[in-house]
Amino acid sequence: MSAYAANLLSPLCVAIPLMSAAVLAPFTKHCPRWVSSTVAAANALAVIAMCIALVCYTSQHGPIVHWMGGWRPKHDLAIGIGFSVDTMGAGLAAFVALLVFAATLYTWTKFDLAGTLFHSLLLAFLGAMCGYALTGDIFNMFVWFELMTAAAIALTAHKIEEAESIEGAINLAVTNTIAGFCVLLGIGLIYARTDALNFAQLGEILAQRPADALVLASFALIVAGFFVKGAVAPFHFWLDDAHAVAPTPICILFSGIMVQLALYGVARVYWTVFSGALSTQAHEIKALFVGVGIATALIGAIMAYAQRHLKRLLAFSTVSHSGMFVAALGLFSAAGIAGAAIFVVAHGLVKSALFVCAGNYLNRFRSLDENELTGKGANAPLNSALYLIGGLALAGMPPFAISAAKVLYDAAMTDRALLAVAGFMALASAIDAGAVLRSGLHVTFGIGKGQITGYSPREEASECDDPYLVRTPWTMLAAPVMLLAVAVWVGMSGTLWHGVERAAYAFVDRQYYAAAVLSGMHRMPAQAPFVLRTAQDVGVNLSVTAAAIVLALLGLFRRRFPQVLSSIFGPPLKQLRDLHSGIFTDYIAYMMFGIAAYTTYLVIAAR
Amino acid sequence: MTALSQWTLFFPYAVAFWLFVVGCFGITQSRNLIHTILCLTVVQSSTYMLLMSVDFHAKSGAPIFGSTNPPGSPSVDPILHALTLTDIVVGATVSALMLALTVQIHRRRGTIDPQRLRPMSD
Repeated sequence: MSAYAANLLSPLCVAIPLMSAAVLAPFTKHCPRWVSSTVAAANALAVIAMCIALVCYTSQHGPIVHWMGGWRPKHDLAIGIGFSVDTMGAGLAAFVALLVFAATLYTWTKFDLAGTLFHSLLLAFLGAMCGYALTGDIFNMFVWFELMTAAAIALTAHKIEEAESIEGAINLAVTNTIAGFCVLLGIGLIYARTDALNFAQLGEILAQRPADALVLASFALIVAGFFVKGAVAPFHFWLDDAHAVAPTPICILFSGIMVQLALYGVARVYWTVFSGALSTQAHEIKALFVGVGIATALIGAIMAYAQRHLKRLLAFSTVSHSGMFVAALGLFSAAGIAGAAIFVVAHGLVKSALFVCAGNYLNRFRSLDENELTGKGANAPLNSALYLIGGLALAGMPPFAISAAKVLYDAAMTDRALLAVAGFMALASAIDAGAVLRSGLHVTFGIGKGQITGYSPREEASECDDPYLVRTPWTMLAAPVMLLAVAVWVGMSGTLWHGVERAAYAFVDRQYYAAAVLSGMHRMPAQAPFVLRTAQDVGVNLSVTAAAIVLALLGLFRRRFPQVLSSIFGPPLKQLRDLHSGIFTDYIAYMMFGIAAYTTYLVIAAR
Repeated sequence: MTALSQWTLFFPYAVAFWLFVVGCFGITQSRNLIHTILCLTVVQSSTYMLLMSVDFHAKSGAPIFGSTNPPGSPSVDPILHALTLTDIVVGATVSALMLALTVQIHRRRGTIDPQRLRPMSD
């Protein structure tokens, strides 16, 4: 592929879905359903193809920089808005499109589109997420962030007749809007210092002298803002409310990639903009990221274990994994980024498959409550099998991809002090997967007999236009099969792993990025050492899986254990549950606390 | 520059901070979704305030050059105005969406008090 073609492709990944959304919107009323489905699926496939082409090109020739309207930098000074596409960004955009394709597959037949604009919104969401992944300008990133939020609000409240959906959407809207303003305040502060908005330009200017309070405050505000969408404690509260009520295809996109894209934003901004100026504070920032990562991972895992509503359980598991990603990013090394990247993709695939299976239960049995569903899963054997496989995959059972991720992740843990962190993460993922497996066994085999505590609404409407679905349509089962198959491939593919490691080394090389963007020069980034899988890592993954199975059985047979356990764990768990009140006014109070804490820590302690 | 004028330069930033905090505080105390949306607008005003005060120069005019201010004469930075304008558009989108949701929630639940709306609580 020529450089010219590659340069042209990068804006098309965003332009094509957004144009299709606009064109589709007025016509969907008058054309049959298969037309809008086909348009959406074709868009997703086109974006996958284009992004894979971009990945291939950038891994050979370095980042592609596309200046909108031809406003190229003059004298190494960026004056226009540009897309700076590197392998990591293009790969993420391809993954976004893959999940959108899975969502369209799920909605192909039977799914109640409730009106006509579903596919238009989906395409706008796709365009926004791709733009976010590919942009090279911090304000542009904020705009895509807000477009993502707006599309997410509309899609969560898609079933506008259901009060729960609207309530979830309102919680999402209030928290994420304030998050956007936080990011914007951070951008304003950094612009005041540098007069620049381009990542590379900002990084070059900031690297000239060590960070002062203004730069640290700006970093804190941007990180806090992204962490709200990234569902990191204490900002994660909106996520479980929104996920529990959003339509299944939207859950795929939320849990699978939107949350992780916010964390990608943190990594991108840190490595291109702040890494030069904050090099002396790296240790304190690392402590912050690893600390909140552990806290989030454990809170999410424990809350997941304490749920009986399947989607809410999976949502808390996403919170927990979000914490693991933050801890991995917080290692601030290329190996950490590579581990996080594979981990994000692997988790996204498996979690999406689990959400689709939960959606299939809902459509067949009109409930997402474990206690209601107990034993009914046996009537949908394929779906139940997929759900249980998903649970095992979430624990990291080889050959699934999360296991692959853990290897890299563990490889980053060469520091002895971080061994404890790895232990906490293994514990969190065992509890997480234990919760999923418990619900799967409960639903499929009826063990435990509806004895799980937790909140669940009494009635739940099916997502299908046929409320008494007798058989799950094949498209709704094809989606999880496809996702799990890709997850196996991700776990097995050495080429992919090595590619991700190389991309990660380029990702963390600020000067390489800046030279490519500002003066179009390409030098080779540092070469990645190839981390091989060892027998010991497989052992780690198998023991996490075993721990998850034990925890699942513990949950199912807990009546046979002495009451001592529940009297010890009961009261603190109740406190934790009470924090998740479902009322956004509380969430804003926690957010205020979080923002103040992050800023104070970074400005005072890290100075 | 006198000490007083140094402080007046900080004043807009203090206002931006105050607007952010008081808007968020308003949301935490909110008993009405319309009130919440207005509080969100207050929070957003803090971003306008910050962007505009970054831009402020006492002696410069708009970046429109003509006979009285030839090209090269001092002017304010147009980029920040573009950012503020984009910010306003973003805010309007979210407010419109939220107002639509408020209308709908009132139809379904008969209340717009956030304390009585809870999707799923433990």
